[in-house]
Amino acid sequence: MQSSRPKPSPREKAAQRANFLTALCFLAPAVLLVTVFLLVPLIYNVWISFTGWAKFSGIDRFVGVANYSQAFSNPKFFEAAGNTVSWIVASLVLPIGLGLGFALLLRGIRGAEAFKTVFFVPRLLAPTAIGTIWYYVFADNGTLNAMLSGVGLGDWTRSWLYDPLMITPAMIIAHTWQTTGLVMVLLLLGLAALPTEPLEAAQVEGATPFQIFRHIVLPMLLPTLLVVTIISVIAGFTTFDLVWVMGRDYPNRSTLTLAVHQYWETFRSNRWAYGASVAVLIGLIALLITWVQTLLQQKLEDRAK
Amino acid sequence: MSETAIGAPAAAERRRAGRRSNRAVFWIAVAVTLLWLFPFYYALVTIFKTGQEYTAGGPLALPASTAPVVANILEAWRRTHMLVGMGNSLLYGVVGAGLAVFVAALASYGLTRLDYRGRSYWFLLIFSGTIFPFQIYLIPLFQGFARTGLLDSRLGMILVYTAICVPFPTLVLKNFMSQIPRDLDEAARMDGCSEWRIFRSIILPNSRGPMIAVFLLQFNWIWNDLIFSMVLTLDESKRSIMNSLMVFQGNYAGTTPNLVVTATLLASVPTLVIFFLLRRYFMQGLALQTSD
Repeated sequence: MQSSRPKPSPREKAAQRANFLTALCFLAPAVLLVTVFLLVPLIYNVWISFTGWAKFSGIDRFVGVANYSQAFSNPKFFEAAGNTVSWIVASLVLPIGLGLGFALLLRGIRGAEAFKTVFFVPRLLAPTAIGTIWYYVFADNGTLNAMLSGVGLGDWTRSWLYDPLMITPAMIIAHTWQTTGLVMVLLLLGLAALPTEPLEAAQVEGATPFQIFRHIVLPMLLPTLLVVTIISVIAGFTTFDLVWVMGRDYPNRSTLTLAVHQYWETFRSNRWAYGASVAVLIGLIALLITWVQTLLQQKLEDRAK
Repeated sequence: MSETAIGAPAAAERRRAGRRSNRAVFWIAVAVTLLWLFPFYYALVTIFKTGQEYTAGGPLALPASTAPVVANILEAWRRTHMLVGMGNSLLYGVVGAGLAVFVAALASYGLTRLDYRGRSYWFLLIFSGTIFPFQIYLIPLFQGFARTGLLDSRLGMILVYTAICVPFPTLVLKNFMSQIPRDLDEAARMDGCSEWRIFRSIILPNSRGPMIAVFLLQFNWIWNDLIFSMVLTLDESKRSIMNSLMVFQGNYAGTTPNLVVTATLLASVPTLVIFFLLRRYFMQGLALQTSD
C-alpha cells in the first residue's frame, strides 16, 4: 500500500510526522476513553463468552462454543429472540409509518409547531418514565381495562401484562408512542430540505397528492428515511429500560427480549459466561443491521450518480 | 405565462378544494393529538389523587381536589430519596456530557485541522464505540470495575458515561469543524500561535452552537439512563435518578399508583425544563443525527 503512492519528500514526511504527533495529543483522551471503556471490554466480553467463567472466580477454562450451544438449546432464549424479532419488525414499521404520516399531515397546517411539540414530548421522557405510565395503562385495574368496561366491552378486558401474547405488543405500543415524535421531527427536517421545484411542477401538471408523494417526495426522501429507519430499529431491539419497567410483574421476565434475557441471566441468575454469549449474539444482530444499512446506502448513492 | 380565461376558474376551484381539505387535515391532526395526549391526561389526573381516591374512583376519573398533589410530591420525594438520585444524575450528566463533548472537540481538532496519514482510521477507532449495543459492555465493565475499585463509585460512573458519550459528538464536531475555513488557523500558525491556542481561541468559540447541541443530547441520555446504574452501582448513595425510581418495583405495601406516577414525573421535570428553555439547541442537535 505504502509503496504504490507517490513518495513524499523527506521534508513533507517530517512535517506529517510532526503534525501526527501534535494530532495524537488532541486525539489521546478520546482514543484512551473509547479503548479502555468500550473496545477492551468488547474484546473481553467475546473472550468470556468462550469460557466457563463465573462471578469473581477469574478466567477459568476455555469451553469453546458451549455457552452458545446452551443458548441455542434454551427455550427461553428462543422466546426472547422471537420477541426481539417482533420488536425489530415493529420498530421498522410503526414509528416510521406513523412518523411519516404525521410529518406529511402536519406539513403546512395551522399550528404545526404546537402539534409537533405534542408528538415530540414523549421522546424527552426517560424510557423508565414511559414504562411506568404505560404500565398503569395496561395494568389489571388500569386505564385500558377501565375504558373497555366503561363502553360495555367488559369481556375484552384482560391481564395484558401477564399474557405472553399481549405483553410484547403492549410494550411496542408504549415504545412507538415514545419514538414516533423523533422520527417525525427528523423526517420533517428531511422534507424541508427537499427542493420545491419538482413539487410545484408536478402540481401544475395536475398530479394527485398520492402521485406526487410516490414518485417525487418518496424517492428524494429515501436517504433520510434510511438513516431514520436504522436509528429506529437499533433503538427498538436494544430497548431495556422500558421492557424492564413494564414487565415488572411478568412471571417470565427472562423471555421478554434478548436485552432483558441477557441482563436477567447474567446479573440475577449469575450465569456470567452464558450472558456474555448472549451479548455477543445481540452484537452480531446489530452488526448485521449496520451492514444492511451500508449496503442500502451504497445502492442509493450509486443510483444518485 | 398568462392564465387563460378558462384556466382561472379551474384554479380558483382547486384552491377552494385545497382549503377545504386543509381544514379536514387540521381536524384529523387535532384528533390524533388528543389520542396522543391520553397518557399525559392519565398521569396528570393521577398526581392529584390520594391512594384511596385512585382505587375507589378508577384511574380515569377526575380528582376531587388538587390538594393531594403536595402530599404526593413529599411522599414520593421521601420514598425514592430523590435528592440523592437527582444530585448524582446531575453530577453524572453535567460532568460526563461536558467532559465527553470537550474530549470530542479535542479529537475533532486533531481529525480536521492537521494533515497526516491515516486520519480516517483514527476516526473509525473512536466511532466504533457506537456500533455495539450496551449489553456487550456490561459484564466486562462490572468485572473490571470490581477489580479496580471503581465499582459502586461516582468516578466509575462518570468515566463510563464520558466514554459512551464521546463517539457521537466526535462525528458531529468533526463534520462541523471541517467546514471552518482553514485560512483562519493557517494565519494564526504563521503568527506563531501554538496549536492549543488555535484550538482554544479560534476553533472552540466557533463551534459553540453544535457543542451545546450535542451536550444537551448527551446530558439527556445520561439523565435518562437506567441500565448502567443498575449494573455498576450497588449502594443507594451512588444511584442515578432513574435507578432510584426502582424502589417502587417490588409491590411493597403502600406503593400506590399516585405516588409512583408523581415520582416518575418529578424525575422527568429537569429534562423537560431544559428542553423548553433551550429548544433551539435541542432541535439543532437532533438534526445532526441524520446529516452526515
